[in-house]
Amino acid sequence: MKTNKIKERSKKADEKQKSILEMLKSHGAKIYDDLDHGQFPKFSIPSRSVSNIVYDKKLRQYILGNNAALRSSRNSSQLRSFTQLMWLAFFANRLTQEKKSSTLRDVYYSSQAFAIEFEDQSESDNIIVDLEAVTSKPREDFHIFPEERSSIFGDLNIEYTIPGYEGKTMNLSNHPDGYSIGPSLTTAELVDTSAEIVIAIEKGGLFTRFVEEQIDKKFKSIIINTGGQAPRSTRTLLKRLHDEMGLPVIVLTDGDVYGEHIAMVIKSGSANAAHLRELTVPDAKWVGVWATDIEKYKLPTIPMTESDIKRCYDLQKDPRYEDGIWKKELDVFLRLKRKAELEAFSKYGLTNITEKYLPQKLELAKSL
Amino acid sequence: MSLIKEKFNQISPSEFFYSNRDLAGFSNPTRSLYTAVREFVENALDACDQKGILPDVHLTIKAVEPEKPDPKPYILTVKDNGPGVDSKHIPLAFGTVLYGSKFGLKQARGMFGLGATMAILYGQITTNKPVIVKSSVDGKLQDEFELLLDIQKNKPVIVKHTTKETSKHGLSVSICLEGDYSKAGNKIRDYVYETSLITPYASITFDDPKGEKFQHPRFVKDIPPAPTIIRPHPHGIDVERIRRMIVESQFEIPTIDDAMIEKVRKDLGLSKKNLSFTAIMEKARKKWKTLPRQVRVVIALMSFLKMDFEKLSKITIEDLDIPNKKLHYWDFGESQSKSIDMDPESQYYKQLTNTVQGEPLTTFLTKRFQRIGPTTANKFAEFSGFKPEKRMGTMSNQELVQLSDSLQKFEDFLAPDPSCLAPLGEAPLEKGIKKFFNPDFTAVVQRPASAYSGFPFIVEMGIAYGGDIKTGGPHVYRYANRIPLLYDEGSDVVLKVVNDTDWGRYKVKGDPPFIIVSHICSTRIPYKTAGKENVADRPEIERELRLALQFLSRKLAAYMSKRGQAEMAKKRANLYAKYIPLIAQFCTELAGKKKEPNYKKLIDEEMPVETSKTVKETKVENE
Repeated sequence: MKTNKIKERSKKADEKQKSILEMLKSHGAKIYDDLDHGQFPKFSIPSRSVSNIVYDKKLRQYILGNNAALRSSRNSSQLRSFTQLMWLAFFANRLTQEKKSSTLRDVYYSSQAFAIEFEDQSESDNIIVDLEAVTSKPREDFHIFPEERSSIFGDLNIEYTIPGYEGKTMNLSNHPDGYSIGPSLTTAELVDTSAEIVIAIEKGGLFTRFVEEQIDKKFKSIIINTGGQAPRSTRTLLKRLHDEMGLPVIVLTDGDVYGEHIAMVIKSGSANAAHLRELTVPDAKWVGVWATDIEKYKLPTIPMTESDIKRCYDLQKDPRYEDGIWKKELDVFLRLKRKAELEAFSKYGLTNITEKYLPQKLELAKSL
Repeated sequence: MSLIKEKFNQISPSEFFYSNRDLAGFSNPTRSLYTAVREFVENALDACDQKGILPDVHLTIKAVEPEKPDPKPYILTVKDNGPGVDSKHIPLAFGTVLYGSKFGLKQARGMFGLGATMAILYGQITTNKPVIVKSSVDGKLQDEFELLLDIQKNKPVIVKHTTKETSKHGLSVSICLEGDYSKAGNKIRDYVYETSLITPYASITFDDPKGEKFQHPRFVKDIPPAPTIIRPHPHGIDVERIRRMIVESQFEIPTIDDAMIEKVRKDLGLSKKNLSFTAIMEKARKKWKTLPRQVRVVIALMSFLKMDFEKLSKITIEDLDIPNKKLHYWDFGESQSKSIDMDPESQYYKQLTNTVQGEPLTTFLTKRFQRIGPTTANKFAEFSGFKPEKRMGTMSNQELVQLSDSLQKFEDFLAPDPSCLAPLGEAPLEKGIKKFFNPDFTAVVQRPASAYSGFPFIVEMGIAYGGDIKTGGPHVYRYANRIPLLYDEGSDVVLKVVNDTDWGRYKVKGDPPFIIVSHICSTRIPYKTAGKENVADRPEIERELRLALQFLSRKLAAYMSKRGQAEMAKKRANLYAKYIPLIAQFCTELAGKKKEPNYKKLIDEEMPVETSKTVKETKVENE
């Protein structure tokens, strides 16, 4: 029974790899044919300019519109980036075939082995996003990962798929510091869990507190430290926990406008990744700290800076903040002109947040 | 009251220049050596130009004692194949200051041959050696003089004079002077080099003190047309000049003496026998049209005086008072002054009026100035508010000032006659630039003649880019009347105009390999200083320079943009050659193929098309 399951999973991983390779091959074949016929190869890239990013209410995320730009190797100003993109596809193809992972920085340096020049890492990062946009696949699918900075803790069994670890399993509550969400974890199969909810928390300090207070057990939860704005690998993992394991996701952030937006990005994506559809958890719920909580719990506050206030006004123009709790809390932030951090609950004692605030919020989340 | 009497002395011109030699560019051994070279070379070229001889000029500088450190005495010799100087003029021409052949309104390199004498004078006061002049006018005999200057008396002292046979005409001048070749050498070499660029019809050689030989053979076979002496242009005239011209244009009342009476008799065809007054007048009336002015005037006077020749010889005309229509004369017989009334209706009255009051305005204008016809003269009369028949002799001071002002302001005069100028011409200038700099692009222009303060001038200019020209331009080569100007570059009007230009607008960027050759020709170059190295910024000259430069800059911009396109095409081809193989390599592996696609024809097809287009465009631009 178990062997079957493993076989099934590895088959699934193989299929995914196969489809990525197929897609790269078909892109490569088209360019090959153009060259062989004496034509300058070209392809179209969806435009990632602000004017082409629209909020899709049905999908509940930002997506790219229909505008696309033609990148042609005939155009001398595009030839360089055309070649860079070709190289990246070639490099991603090798990474995927050999099941090796790479980081953004790695990619930047690897280019130099092939006489491909990038001015700096931001140029190569940009080409990586181009590849994502052309293929509509996140770079993690091509084995390109960000530097890990977020972590996970809780009763979750995973099974690695990376070379050398295939079939090896791990329970994510074995290490009290949590496990960093890197390539091997992001690509691992999610086997089973006793948890009933995922709590994403903005701050590393609170994450540690939650582990200490055994929130995983008390509330049957998996705890994820997003480390501020959630990295894409973390968002991928959140989505998989929601979609594959059927776990609801709640987000706990600082009581400020940035916190509110961290939750929103997990829920509906960012403009920067509008070309991707596999990074959002539209059902995720933001439970706090709300602006209204600041008043309700009489939390110690800090005055908002000018940039905080400006950010509030910017978000008011975002269609996602047009109604509901998102609009309401934004308005209150603007009225208070003050903010509070998660740590502010420590005023009432170190465990106040886990013993009082969290239970109330979890209860409330059911009705959201 | 002071008991000491102020003492007044007159000093000789050479004494004056001896005390003020800085004025002529003899301030120190470096500058003096350079100035001396310039003066002799320019005199040699001027002499050949004026006789239409293709110049061969040899310049030699030799140290008297080569081992001594600079400054030290050098022997400077300049030899030419010009017309030579007649032996009887040599002592004066080379042994006095302000003696020369260059006077008159036309362009020449020097003005009065002053500089050469200054060089001789400087040589004498620094080394006490005579100047050696060898001259042959006919190519058969050569006169050789050794001369010293008596500075106080401004007189030549002939030390030695010999004559021998020769086979070539021409002049050779040799002086010994204190100089500093180690410092002046660069400038002298530049001077010779730049001179040969603007004098392409001359062969110039230079043997320098270190034994190096610099040769600049002629590469143009024709001498540009020689300038002619011309009448002044109305825009360049002042009241004093008009007053002098009026005096020249007036006719004097002839003195009535025996000689004049004899002339009148002869012209009238009278025999010796006496004729009555009436008979004389009758004869004159018949022959009137053939009589010269002087005779007519005498007849007119006789008609009013009613005298025959006998009585006529006993009077002197004192005055013709035209406004009061009176004739005053002195009667020797009665020893008293008398006057009679003149009848203004008489044709003889008109004759006298014409004579005394000079030419009418229109005649004055057409006869005394260049390029004014009767139509323009009449238009000008209307413009200035004078009647066309207004007699020049009747103008009051105030009217003269008004006339002078109007002459300046009237804009319909034709541009000054440039025949007094000797520009090099577009074709030789372009040829010179191409030979000297081997550029990728050349353009030249000669502006129409213009005038500043009545002195005509012509600006010609050339521009060149690329080729052998070194970067860091624009390098400006300044010329005035075919003289290269090497010193005091900073304050020159040409530099000002060049520096005012926004080269970016003409697509010239960075550190361009780029030269500008500017030649100003004029009967008088407005030098800022007596050293004659930089031209003052007269608005008229500045304007012409600007227009010339703008015209050329536009051509350069057109070339630059074509060149830019060609460079782009080349760059693009290079990019293809660099990147397409990489793309081929990557897509081969991506597509899972073994053999690379046949992309070579893609690169090959791009290359030749772009290149041939470029060559063609460049060629058209240079034609």
